[in-house]
Amino acid sequence: MSSAANLKRWPGWVLLFLVVACFLAYGTAKDAGPLTPEERVEEITKHIACPVCDGETVYESANPASAAIRAEVKAQVAAGLRSDDEIVAYVVQQFGEQTQLLPKASGFDALVWMLPAAALVCAGVGLSFAFRRWKRNADAIPDDDDRAMVEKALAAEVNLDGS
Amino acid sequence: MSDVETPVAPVEPARRRVAPFVVLAVVVVLAAFFVVLATSSSGPKDKVGIVDSPLLGRVAPTVRSTTLDGVPFDLARRKGSWVVINFFNSTCGPCRAEHPELVKFSEQQQGFGDSGAELYTMLQINNDIDAVNKFFSDNGGDWPIVRDDDGTTNVAFGVALVPETFIVNPDGVVVLRWAGEIDSDTLSRLVQQQRDIYEAT
Repeated sequence: MSSAANLKRWPGWVLLFLVVACFLAYGTAKDAGPLTPEERVEEITKHIACPVCDGETVYESANPASAAIRAEVKAQVAAGLRSDDEIVAYVVQQFGEQTQLLPKASGFDALVWMLPAAALVCAGVGLSFAFRRWKRNADAIPDDDDRAMVEKALAAEVNLDGS
Repeated sequence: MSDVETPVAPVEPARRRVAPFVVLAVVVVLAAFFVVLATSSSGPKDKVGIVDSPLLGRVAPTVRSTTLDGVPFDLARRKGSWVVINFFNSTCGPCRAEHPELVKFSEQQQGFGDSGAELYTMLQINNDIDAVNKFFSDNGGDWPIVRDDDGTTNVAFGVALVPETFIVNPDGVVVLRWAGEIDSDTLSRLVQQQRDIYEAT
């Protein structure tokens, strides 16, 4: 039996699922370690857009407003009273929604998260239908009519060669 | 030869009906994103005049610092007076252009004696102190200049782009925020308006 045929059977899919699950588990666990205060400040400021410059994060901007936000984030991380999300929310509250780099998971912004997921699901469903149709076509077993038609065609070809 | 039947390919009309809907859905989504991007505001930088702030109607954030003369400054201790805070940076063109108007405003308020509004300049983080001192000595202005070395005050007031001006009433409540340059007459009028509202309530 060929390896391609093996993959079509369930042990192949189970193996694939296990490999994906292992990668996902590794990827999730990799970043789970505790961050140093400097890493937290870096992580938070990378999620806040500079309020006055286009296309820059607070982490990379040299603008005084960004410098002030960096200093504030550093102070709040050192104080240890707020989570990363709460610190970002505080800055967004002070400077407006345009400083929120990651779209919210509610309201109209949620479309940004939902549309790719919906597209992925639709693509998966579409592919499964396509695979099923291709498989049905590939598995077609010739019946008596098909055999008769082939024999008839072959006979006609022999007659043509003989004449 | 004529007996051989030509195989006919199976017709699948349903598959061909799906494609236009997929294309339509993609076009609708792209159009929606285009409309959202085209109509969204680019932030506070395009606003001049009275602007909104989450601080309006609330007690002003804690401001504890020192002036350039080394005098401690605590905004909470200014309760009982009308306070005008002007956020400033000596490298900012509009701030420099606005300065003569603030000098005029300060003189107007001093004419009211004790009931006149107190004017404070709040620096941005990393502003060169020598440059600020030189600017004030060259262009006038004898009101206190408050340092914000850690940027806390600028962030607490949500000031991203200077100049900005806030009016705080005698209860310590923020009652007005002005983004961009302001002239002395407008600032005096706004303070008076707030005074009238305050006294009426």
